[in-house]
Amino acid sequence: MIKHKKAQWPWHGLTALVLVGLAISLYLATSMMAYEWRWNRVPQYFAYQAEEAQRAASYGTVAEIVVQGDNARVTLKGEDGEPQVLDVVKDSLQLSRGDDVAEGDQIGVTRHWAAGPLAWGLWTTLWLSVVSGALGLVIGLFAGLCRLSNNPTLRDLSTVYVELVRGTPLLVQIFIFYFFIGTVLNLSREFAGVAALALFTGAYVAEIVRAGVQSIARGQNEAARSLGLNASQSMRHVILPQAFKRVLPPLAGQFISLVKDTSLVSVIAITELTKSGREAITTSFSTFEIWFCVAGLYLLINLPLSHLASRLERRLAQSD
Amino acid sequence: MIEVRDLLKVFDTRGQVVRAVDNVSTGVAKGEVVVVLGPSGSGKSTFLRCLNGLEHFDAGHVSINGIPLADPKTDINAYRREVGMVFQHFNLFPHMTVLENLCLAQKVVRKRNKAEREAKARALLDKVGIAEKANEFPSRLSGGQQQRVAIARALAMEPKVMLFDEPTSALDPEMVGEVLDVMKTLAKEGMTMVCVTHEMGFAREVADRVLFFDHGKLLEDSAPAAFFDSPKDPRAQAFLRQVL
Repeated sequence: MIKHKKAQWPWHGLTALVLVGLAISLYLATSMMAYEWRWNRVPQYFAYQAEEAQRAASYGTVAEIVVQGDNARVTLKGEDGEPQVLDVVKDSLQLSRGDDVAEGDQIGVTRHWAAGPLAWGLWTTLWLSVVSGALGLVIGLFAGLCRLSNNPTLRDLSTVYVELVRGTPLLVQIFIFYFFIGTVLNLSREFAGVAALALFTGAYVAEIVRAGVQSIARGQNEAARSLGLNASQSMRHVILPQAFKRVLPPLAGQFISLVKDTSLVSVIAITELTKSGREAITTSFSTFEIWFCVAGLYLLINLPLSHLASRLERRLAQSD
Repeated sequence: MIEVRDLLKVFDTRGQVVRAVDNVSTGVAKGEVVVVLGPSGSGKSTFLRCLNGLEHFDAGHVSINGIPLADPKTDINAYRREVGMVFQHFNLFPHMTVLENLCLAQKVVRKRNKAEREAKARALLDKVGIAEKANEFPSRLSGGQQQRVAIARALAMEPKVMLFDEPTSALDPEMVGEVLDVMKTLAKEGMTMVCVTHEMGFAREVADRVLFFDHGKLLEDSAPAAFFDSPKDPRAQAFLRQVL
């Protein structure tokens, strides 16, 4: 049968239409239950103008106010003769020249941009993912190679590790790490969280590594050994580079899972993205908007990650 | 050069005991070319793999250059440096270019510097006639070219003995010649070689001795002319009737 080349774009158009239809029906559904969308409340949870009160240090009087643009420079003259100079925002200035001030009186405020809870949450999620991902990779590589070792003890220990971690829920592991091991060894909550995530990821990476190494034809190792390479040189130069290429897709999937799993450490009061989202909702009452934002932020981490993985995959494919 | 005494290798898979190499004793002198013949499953590949320790044997004695293989004090990696091996399926490293394939062991095992190992590699590629493919990946090469790269890779370690495990069996017929030519050149240069092969023409032309294996036993050890014209063992006679 002759294969006819058909245009692809009408189908992509249909895809877009389906997605738009879904979005519209979602919108209609929410409007029927009279939800008031207030997207304008969201940006302040990313960044806001923080105010810092400037107070008088001692009893005295306002000696001078110099206005420069939006700011005002206030000079106070204390009872002991010591002058105090304060820069505040003009519209927050509550005094005029000659007023008496007591110790601790607010003269005005200064403003500066500060990261809001969602930005901090995003940052926490990022560093949790990076640190536990890197640790998990190291643990997984080591445990995976141990599973393939000739030494029965190493093999048994790594099998026990993988089976224990894979057979219990991550949530339970986090609790055990925080409440049991964390209490015994006096660990901080961040340490406990990262350790639980790294050990969890390590177990899965170990299985991925093992599968990758075992998928490389036996002849490759034999060829390397016949040239005089020892077992670890053969692993390092011949087997692992080829295995890495093969396991890249499942490995990328594992790291994407890890980024999402960091949301579970909110149960031990680490304020990562999900927990900061929940906190933002308690003050804004914009439930839908915040959760959509939180989902979007997770996508913001994960989409580039999978893009990076597929680019790396293509680069490694040049030898095929 | 190579000494084999009472070599025994038993495969025991789920109760099925196969004596793959059954009390084989033989030797190969320096510069000698020995061709190993026999029907498939006769243990000739296993015999070859026992010679460089890719297969652990159950009893007996193997030594190359006076170094005993079974001695626990022998550094197996140092031993293998002196023994080149060429496989049926080439086993080139697919993630490395041809040049890198030739340089890896020189760098990691022989600790040669970059200029030295690349000069050696290019000289060998030139010798096997594919100097222009140095920067290609193995997947871009034909089977015959890949096998010649594999031979060059083994030679880069300057081995004292070369083992060939059916080097032409996975090749298209028109590529067999180019590989055999390389092997003939090697033989003329005085390389000690042990070849498991089905190429009777090569055996007749190049071999100094022919070993005939069946069911793990070394049944005949004679000069090629004598073996092909008047085989003594009845199983060798039957085998030759089938293949010639």
